Amino acid sequence: MSEAKMKKSRLIGAAVVVAVAAVTAVTLLPGSDDHKFSAGPSVTRRLTAEQYRNIVQDVFGGDIDLGGRFEPDMRVDGLLAVGASQVSITAAGMEQYDAMGRAVAAQAVDANHRDMLVPCKPASPVAADEKCAREFLSKVGRLLYRRPLTEEQLSAYLTAASEATRITGDFYQGLGLSLASMLSSPSFLFVEQIVEPDPEHKGGFRLDDYSVAAQLSFFLWNSAPDSMLLSAAAAGELQTRRGLERQVKRMMTSPRLEQGVRAFFVDQLRFDEFEVLAKDAALFPKFSAQAAADAREQTMKTVLDVVLTRNADYREIFTTRKTFLTPELGAIYQVPIFKEGPNGSPDEWQPYEFAADDPRGGILTQVAFTALHSPAGRGSPTLRGKAVREIALCQTVPPPPADVSFTEFENNTAHGASTARERLAAHATVPSCSGCHKIIDPIGFALENFDGAGEFRTTENGSPIDPTGEIDGISYRDAGGLGQAIYDNPAAVTCVVDRLSARALGRTPMKEERKWLRELRADFEKSGHRLPALMQEIALSDALYRVGPPKAAPANRLPPTEEIITAELERHHE
Amino acid sequence: MKRIVLASLTLACLPLANAAAETRHFAISWFSQATYSNDHDCSQGVHPAVEEVYLRYAAKLGATPQQVAEWRRKIMNGDEVRDLDQLIMNRGRIDGKPVNPYTHPASVVDLSLPGLDGKEGFGFDLDGKGADQPGSFQDPETKERGVDHNLYRALGCTRAFRGSLASRPTYWAWAWGQLKDSQPAWLITLEGADLKKDGPVTVGIDRAYEYLRSNSDGSPRFDMAYRVDPDPRSRNQFKGELRDGVVTITEHGKLRLLQNPLVSPEFNLKDVHLRLELKADRSARGFMGGYTPWRPIYWGIAGVGFGGEQQVTGDVPGFYHLLKRYADADPDPVTGQNESISATYYIEAVPAFVKDAGAPTPQVTRR
Repeated sequence: MSEAKMKKSRLIGAAVVVAVAAVTAVTLLPGSDDHKFSAGPSVTRRLTAEQYRNIVQDVFGGDIDLGGRFEPDMRVDGLLAVGASQVSITAAGMEQYDAMGRAVAAQAVDANHRDMLVPCKPASPVAADEKCAREFLSKVGRLLYRRPLTEEQLSAYLTAASEATRITGDFYQGLGLSLASMLSSPSFLFVEQIVEPDPEHKGGFRLDDYSVAAQLSFFLWNSAPDSMLLSAAAAGELQTRRGLERQVKRMMTSPRLEQGVRAFFVDQLRFDEFEVLAKDAALFPKFSAQAAADAREQTMKTVLDVVLTRNADYREIFTTRKTFLTPELGAIYQVPIFKEGPNGSPDEWQPYEFAADDPRGGILTQVAFTALHSPAGRGSPTLRGKAVREIALCQTVPPPPADVSFTEFENNTAHGASTARERLAAHATVPSCSGCHKIIDPIGFALENFDGAGEFRTTENGSPIDPTGEIDGISYRDAGGLGQAIYDNPAAVTCVVDRLSARALGRTPMKEERKWLRELRADFEKSGHRLPALMQEIALSDALYRVGPPKAAPANRLPPTEEIITAELERHHE
Repeated sequence: MKRIVLASLTLACLPLANAAAETRHFAISWFSQATYSNDHDCSQGVHPAVEEVYLRYAAKLGATPQQVAEWRRKIMNGDEVRDLDQLIMNRGRIDGKPVNPYTHPASVVDLSLPGLDGKEGFGFDLDGKGADQPGSFQDPETKERGVDHNLYRALGCTRAFRGSLASRPTYWAWAWGQLKDSQPAWLITLEGADLKKDGPVTVGIDRAYEYLRSNSDGSPRFDMAYRVDPDPRSRNQFKGELRDGVVTITEHGKLRLLQNPLVSPEFNLKDVHLRLELKADRSARGFMGGYTPWRPIYWGIAGVGFGGEQQVTGDVPGFYHLLKRYADADPDPVTGQNESISATYYIEAVPAFVKDAGAPTPQVTRR
């Protein structure tokens, strides 16, 4: 394409983005102050990388290459899903989204895909065809925007497609450019919640039909609503108890539920940190990139086996000896995992159960957890203990003092100390350190039989390892005891209820929502801690769909954009 | 240490003496000719660089001293010597006509470059002729004398084959680097009543379906799982014994393993000897010796051609003449030419899980 044409097509795209953003901006209708029920604010969430991938896959198929990089996510209150409602898109990030949108769109309308994805044939492949373009863009737009396009939106996209076709002389290229602008629109990249007066609660608000659909699908499937859910929204079914139950039941039995559960645990277990996980190859030569990927997946498979396949007690993830391994992981776990396919074929996953006397049991003893919460060159009872508190129990551990010195701990044999327990004992004599270390190190000591890459060991620097530990007054002999202690800890139950609720809401539950959380927890316990039952109850909760009034904006606060500041300055000069 | 306990009723019903109570498996992670190069083992000097050898060939093929001097000058300057290259690439002669020297090594003039005449070399007294046998070595580790290792004599003064256990010979570092990623792993299985104690053992040497698996730093990976290829051409079992942590073969038979045409389609060894030391870190290292046909060794080297000859091996047809000269077993009944050569290979092995392909996965208990 010539530079002039490209420039023009970009201008068209940008114009469409602005137009669509204006039309679909959050619409919060004015409300009165007399509502008596408690509900949290609406949120606008940026799509996570995984959600973006899932939507592209759902709408265009699994063979579409995104070929771009996503904006970094931000973890808030333990979850990226909560942070997603507090992030924006930088200029550089917008360039990436634009590039990805163009790449996806180009593939969707290319010769390999158009017959499958474009439901009609243009009268001429070199001329605009509004009827066909309308059919395609309205169908795809409904799925991407999670609601039907307004006539104004559709008209803008049709105009863009038609103009681009005229410039490029290619109907599909025109269609693709219009689709690209749709993919870089805020209405696609941000999950907006549109609210309306709640007829059941005078003065209150609720999500509109399509926002309910999106709330449900991003919670249960980590993707956009499918066509059936959007149809239910269009018919107003989601605002009725019966209709909502019907859709939730359908979604809970869909294979896509695994996608949603995965997304929760990837977030909760902080598995996004695998992207930057590296080990010193000289010290941990078995820990390859493949081993890291397999370790991550091993824990996911273990969790999914407990909570979905077997629908067992959620807490079993901390104690189960059943897992899944590849030959690559088998070498790290020192157990025989044989290939089944021909030489050179990809490694297959195989179920494996550790023996009752094996030190491995539960996800805390797996390579993913022990390696992820260790520095590159050694294990760390402190990091692991901190991770257990924060991830399994949702407790907050303060960061170390700014002036703390790790030199003595990093020195493996300082003061004749051979093991981490001995080194930390010396470190914990510093008063400013001891407060935290005494509540986290004893947890991590139980995992000291696993080195920095998660491989089993019985000695450190030639000295035998003592894996006894303690958490909140409960002592145990080894890692298995730690898993059981977490299993028995009520905080582990509260933790998963709180985090799952926060994920569903896209925000941290408010103080006023504690009653709801208590009910969820009680029902979760009654169900035998079955996670699907908890997810279903959350999905059917009013709390997910009611919306309270927005917080008052601070007075005289200027939006932090250059344009506004410049305008202020100009006024000042006048 | 781990033991693999086969929870099999069949095994339990076998007479106790035949039942292997403990099994250990290894994947061979390094395999090369065992060399012990030092400053005093080539009294006539190490063979010259390949360029110098080429000039000697050129002289033998009729080049004038002036031509040779000019080529030498150009080589020293780094200039191209295409006319010399053409001469060398076709330095074989059949009925006076130039032929490919690598496929017709016997047609290449023998420069009579010397073999190694040092006193120390790894290996075994294969022929049982004892300490005073002329041309035999003393093993630098066991101090055994009468060691037969003529492959070392033949190639020991060529640059690519010089090295030690710690400093790998160039050819073998190159060859094994290619082999380990392109041929299924070789496996060693030890079976005995109690492998922590001295006693009789059975030594199995087989080939896997899978390649040797390496770590991210290139080192061999401990504890990988391999399936044994049931192809009978790569199944070998020997009676042996374990003494002071060293496994030896007591009934010396034949070994046959499928290899890789890069070096040789098959590896054959007759009158197999083994000395395998079991190390504290669960790995093993040691030596395997016997008589091996020398012609496949040549063809394995010859496959590198003119480029590989310059970059890796050195004078290829020269190896043919050396191997032929030092071959010391299996005389051809018609010509009298020995067809095999005594050889010793150095092996390192890492612990592995091994099962017959198709067999159920063994249960493992940690002790």
